Amino acid sequence: MRLFNLPTALLALLVAAPETWATHTSNWAVLVSTSRFWFNYRHMANTLSLYRTVKRLGIPDSQIILMLPDDMACNPRNSFSGSVFNDKSRQLDLYDDKGGAMVEAGMGGIEVDYRGNEVTVENFIRLLTDRWPESHPVSKRLMTDDRANVLIYMTGHGGDSFLKFQDAEEISSFDLADAFQQMHEKRRYHEMLFMIDTCQANTMYTEFRSPGIIATGSSARDESSYSHHADQDVGVAVIDRWTYYNLEFLETRLNSTSQDVTLGELFDFYTFDRVHSHAGVRYDLLPGGEEAARNRRVLDFFGNVQGVEAAAEGAQDSQNEWIQDLDALRRILARQKEEMAAAQEEKETNNTTHKAPTGKRAVAHDMVSDSADGWLKKTLGAGSLLALGAAWIASSSRLGPQRKVAVS
Amino acid sequence: MMMRGDKTQADVSSSDGQSSITAMAPPPEQPATSNTRRLIILSFWLVVACLGLPHWIWTTSIHRSDLPLESMNDWAEGKSCQPHYPLNIRLHSQSHDSARDAIVAARTETILNSLTDFQLYRFHVAAGNNTVSDVPTQDDVLVVELKQPSKADHVEAKLQSWVPVLDIVHADDDVERLAEFISEQVRSVFADEAKSLSYILGNTPFATGKEAIISPEDRKILEARTTRAFKYASALHLTFSLFTSSATPSAWDIEEALEQYITPLLGPFSAITKFTVDTQVQLQASFSPSIEGPTFDAATGQWKLDNSDLGGFINAAEWPLSPSIGSGPTINFVLYVPSAQQSPLVIAETGGSSWLIPQWGGVQILNSQHLSGRLSAEDLRPIMLTFADQLTSLLGFPQSPPSLSLRISSLTRERATSLIMSASSTLGALSRLTLKLKSIAIPDTVAKSVDETINRLNQACQDLNQGRFSRALQNARIAEDEAEQAFFEPSMVGQVYFPDEHRVAVYVPLLGPMAVPLVMAGAKELIAWVKYLKSPKTKTA
Repeated sequence: MRLFNLPTALLALLVAAPETWATHTSNWAVLVSTSRFWFNYRHMANTLSLYRTVKRLGIPDSQIILMLPDDMACNPRNSFSGSVFNDKSRQLDLYDDKGGAMVEAGMGGIEVDYRGNEVTVENFIRLLTDRWPESHPVSKRLMTDDRANVLIYMTGHGGDSFLKFQDAEEISSFDLADAFQQMHEKRRYHEMLFMIDTCQANTMYTEFRSPGIIATGSSARDESSYSHHADQDVGVAVIDRWTYYNLEFLETRLNSTSQDVTLGELFDFYTFDRVHSHAGVRYDLLPGGEEAARNRRVLDFFGNVQGVEAAAEGAQDSQNEWIQDLDALRRILARQKEEMAAAQEEKETNNTTHKAPTGKRAVAHDMVSDSADGWLKKTLGAGSLLALGAAWIASSSRLGPQRKVAVS
Repeated sequence: MMMRGDKTQADVSSSDGQSSITAMAPPPEQPATSNTRRLIILSFWLVVACLGLPHWIWTTSIHRSDLPLESMNDWAEGKSCQPHYPLNIRLHSQSHDSARDAIVAARTETILNSLTDFQLYRFHVAAGNNTVSDVPTQDDVLVVELKQPSKADHVEAKLQSWVPVLDIVHADDDVERLAEFISEQVRSVFADEAKSLSYILGNTPFATGKEAIISPEDRKILEARTTRAFKYASALHLTFSLFTSSATPSAWDIEEALEQYITPLLGPFSAITKFTVDTQVQLQASFSPSIEGPTFDAATGQWKLDNSDLGGFINAAEWPLSPSIGSGPTINFVLYVPSAQQSPLVIAETGGSSWLIPQWGGVQILNSQHLSGRLSAEDLRPIMLTFADQLTSLLGFPQSPPSLSLRISSLTRERATSLIMSASSTLGALSRLTLKLKSIAIPDTVAKSVDETINRLNQACQDLNQGRFSRALQNARIAEDEAEQAFFEPSMVGQVYFPDEHRVAVYVPLLGPMAVPLVMAGAKELIAWVKYLKSPKTKTA
C-alpha cells in the first residue's frame, strides 16, 4: 500500500512546492543610527527618513524599533531647535511632522525605543536574539516569528567588516551573521531585508549564512559612502547619498500601499552616477536566488500589507447556528467549572502531586550570571586578589631592611 | 649581588686567558649570590605558574553547564517520540442485545483501523452499557448513540454540538452494513483532523510515514489555516475597538455584548491560554490615508473598497491599537463606522463588510442608516457573532466537524502535537547554538530548564500515545515555555566577536614587559645549568 502511494506523494510534493513559501503576516522594522555628535546629523536624518517612510506605508509604531544614539533636535548647535531635516528645502520636519499647508495632516512625533547610551552593540544583539530580562518592556522587543518580515536599516561610520557604535565600540560582520543565524535557528523571521549605509558597507553582509536574507549596502570594500548635500543654515550635511536615493525612489514610486513595486526596481535605482559608490546587493541567501529576490515587492518589507480574507455578503446566514453553539459553550463552561471545583477538592486531599517550578528568576542585566553564585565568585576573586596584594606588601616590607643592611 | 669580593682583576684574567686584553671584567660571582639569584628567579616562576596562571584561567573561563546534548538532538530529530493517537469510541444502543453490539463495535473498529488515511489513529470501539449518560467519560473521544428509527428506512447521522455525541438513526439488521455506516460517519468526523495532523507532522523529523496523503488543495487550505492562527502563547490579549469617523455613535454596550457572545467562547479555551480583554472607543477616527480607495459606485450607490485597500485600511499611525497589555500578543477587533457621506462602505469584490487579517485580528464596517449615539447589545449582536467567528479562526479552530466540542478536542490534539514539535526544535536550536558559540556562558538555569523540557516532553508524548490529550497539551505547554526560557536566557548573549589578533593586541602590552625579563633570566639560568651538567670537572676543581 505504501509503495503504491509513493508516486502520488511525490507528485503532491512537487505540486505543493511553490506554495511552501507562504506569505508573511506582519512587518517589523529595526532602524539604527549608530553615531552621535553634531557633525553626524545626517545619520539621524537618514534613520528618521526611513522611519517616516515605513510609518507612512503602514508599519505601526509598535513594530518599529528605532535606535538613536543622539538627539540632534535638542543639540545646542541646532539653529532649528526641535527639528531635524533631511533636505535643505526644510519642508519636512522629521522630528515632529505637524503637516504643512499642502499636506493635510502631519505624521506627528517620533517614538524612539533606544536612545543615547542604550544604543550599544550588546543591546542591538539582544534585540535581534530577544534575550532580555523579564523586566524589559514589550514595546522595546522584537516580537517576531516565522511569519514576520523584518527590515533592518543601519547607518553610521564603518570600515572593512565593522560598524562603529557611538565611537566607543563596534559590531563586526561576524557578530551580525551570528545574530541572524540565531534568529534563523529560532525562526524569528520569514524574510529579511538588510540595508546598510556606511563606508565599505558591502563588507558587512559577506559573512551572512542564514537563508531568507536579502542584503544591500551603499559602498564596496575600500570605498567611501558619501553625503548628498549640506544645508548652509543647519551647517552640516543633512543626508547620505544612498539613503537619499532610496527615499527618492520610495517617495516617487510608492505613493500608496496599493502600488506594486519590486525590490529589483529599487536596486536598479542605485546607479554609480547617483550614489557615487558601488552599491551592492546580495541575493544568494534567498531561496530562489536573484530572480526571486528581485521580484519581491518593496511593500513586503516597507509596508504592513498582508493577505486579508474578506468575508462575503452571505456570511450572516450562519448566525443561528452560532447562537446555538455559543449557548452550548456556556453549558460546557458551567460543567467545566463544576469539574474543576471537584478536581480542586481532590487536589487538596492528596497534596502529594509535584509542583511545577514556580517563582520568577531574577536576572541580572549584565552578562555576568545572576544570583548569589555570581556574588560568591566576585568576593572570592576580590579576596584572592587582596591576599596576593597583602603577600606582596608583606614580602617587600620584609625585604626592605635586609637590602639596607646589604648596602651598608 | 653587591661588590664585596676582594679578588683582583689579575686573578680573573689569569683564570680566563681570552680576556687578557680587556681592561675590565665583572668580578666573579660567589656561589651564594648566584644561588640567591636562582632562588629569586625560581620563586618568580613559581608565582607565575602556581598563582598567576590558575588565576588567569579561573577569571577568564566561562561557566558552561553540561547540557544533555544527545537527548536534545534526539528530540529535535524526532527519535524520542512517535506520536500516534488512540481514540476511544463508545457505542451506545437502545437494543438490549449486548452481544450484537459488541460485534458491531468490533467490526467498526476493524474497518476504522484499516483506513489508509487514518494510520495515525488507533481506534478502540467499545460497546457501552445501555444507561445513556449525558456526560461522556473523559476517556471517550466520541460517543455513538444508536437509535431506532421512528419509521422504517429512515437513516440519519447528526453530531450534537455541545457534547461529543454522534446520533445515528439506523435500523439495519445486517451487522456488516451497520458497522460500515457507523465507520463512514466516524470517518467523516475525523477526516479533517487526520489531514491536519498529517500536515503538522509531515515533512518534519516526527513524520512516521503513517501520515495521510494531502492533496495540494487541502494543503493550501491547511496552510491558510495555520497562517491565520496565532502561534501558541500562554497569554493573549483581546482589544475591541470602535472607531467612528464622525461623532456618533460614541458609546456601545460592549460589556453586555462580550458577556453574551465572546465570554462563552473563551471559557473552554482558557484551559489552554489566559485571556485579557479591553475595549476602546475613538471618535473622529479616519482610516489610513495611504490607501487609494474608496471609490463611489454610482450604479449601486455604494462606496467600494478594493481588496488591495483592505490590507492598508488600518490607520496604524493614529489608531491606538497596541495597548502592550500583558506579555502575549494582542488580537485586535476593529469596528469602523464610516461617516454618513461615505456610507455604505463595502468591499468591492464580495460585497461584504468584514475581513480578517491573519495573526492580527478582524475588521468590520458597520453600515447603518439610523444610528443612535449608543450602540445597544442588540445592535452589536451580528457584529459580535462575526467577531466570534473570526476569533475561532484566529485561535486556530478547525472548520469542521460541525460540533464545537469536537472541534475543541481536535484543536487540543493538534496544539499538543505542534507544541511538542516546537519545543523539540527549540531544543535542537539550543544544542546547535551551544556548539556553535563556544564563548557564551551557559548558566545552570538553562540546564535545569532543558531537563524540565525533556521531562515534560516525555510525559506529553506518553500522554498523547495513551489518549490523555488534555494532559498531553498541559505538559507540552510547560515544555514549550521551559524550552523558550532556556533558549532566551538573557545572560546567553554571545561575546562580541573577538578575533585572535585582538587578543594578542590586548595581552602583549600587558604581559610583554613582564614576560621578557622573566623568560630571559629563566633561559639564562637554564643554559648555565645545562652547561654545568655537561662539564662537571670544571666545577669540582
